[in-house]
Amino acid sequence: MSEPQGTAPHKSSDVSVWLERHGDYLFKYAVFRLRDTSAAEDAVQETFLAALKAYEKFEGRGSERTWLVGILKHKVTDHFRRMTRETPLEPGEDEGPEHAEFFTRTDGWDNHWNNEYAPLDWHATPAQLLERGDLWRVLSDCLSPLPQRTASAFTLREVDGLTSEEICEALGVTVNNLWVMLHRARLHLRNCLERNWFRKEPTKPQS
Amino acid sequence: MSWYEKSKHAVRFWLLRRLPACKQTVEIISQSMERPLTLRERVLLKLHLWVCMWCLWYMEHLQLMRDALRLQENETDVDVSTASLSDEARERIRRSLTNNS
Repeated sequence: MSEPQGTAPHKSSDVSVWLERHGDYLFKYAVFRLRDTSAAEDAVQETFLAALKAYEKFEGRGSERTWLVGILKHKVTDHFRRMTRETPLEPGEDEGPEHAEFFTRTDGWDNHWNNEYAPLDWHATPAQLLERGDLWRVLSDCLSPLPQRTASAFTLREVDGLTSEEICEALGVTVNNLWVMLHRARLHLRNCLERNWFRKEPTKPQS
Repeated sequence: MSWYEKSKHAVRFWLLRRLPACKQTVEIISQSMERPLTLRERVLLKLHLWVCMWCLWYMEHLQLMRDALRLQENETDVDVSTASLSDEARERIRRSLTNNS
């Protein structure tokens, strides 16, 4: 394929401006999903190269950032596909903590919630969770002890809204695998968020 | 405790003993976000949630997390973290852009 020579001179300078404007944002976006700095840098680089190539298709229609994020999304799934080919999931590979302690009791009600870990009433709406402002930071901290693939599965499913089939294909796992991963991630994250937000040691009542 | 309260407790515990325990129920709750449940699963889940506030809150929280995260996703100026592109990476990308234009 031969690129037409003498393309408009503003093209590459425009894309450089995008790098300044959106580079950090795209990097954060990628790092949050890939959980790997160098993979995220690669994905951002590939995104800008693709943006440069497809520049004519964009032509200032819509928001640059939305367009770039759209490209990056594909680069992120490409990365998972590559990773899956290189290191397929071993059977019995760690899917995340089972948190058996959440359901251990000694009073004859074993397999029911241990009071220590039982959910509290959050009294919150989605908007209120967002208003806290630290949702993403806390979520990111809470995801970090999970195996990389499990954390990514959770993000792709709950943040990006990919279907089970799409995630299975990208991560190279069976649907049953994926359900176990998602279940463990949810069990872990719900508890972690609650510890961070709703179980702050109550200040002792002053008498 | 009134007679009514006492019998409510008795029914609750009687049911809770016979239904799948919380440990299995939270798995089903998670799967309910991935696939349609069978009729049997739905009935058992409904009954369990009727007598177990903890699992009911658990289910609420999973939905709340999903709704909050997806609500946010549509906005493109969210600061997910304090991470930023290193100067080296930025320079590398800038160079690759120049070489490819």
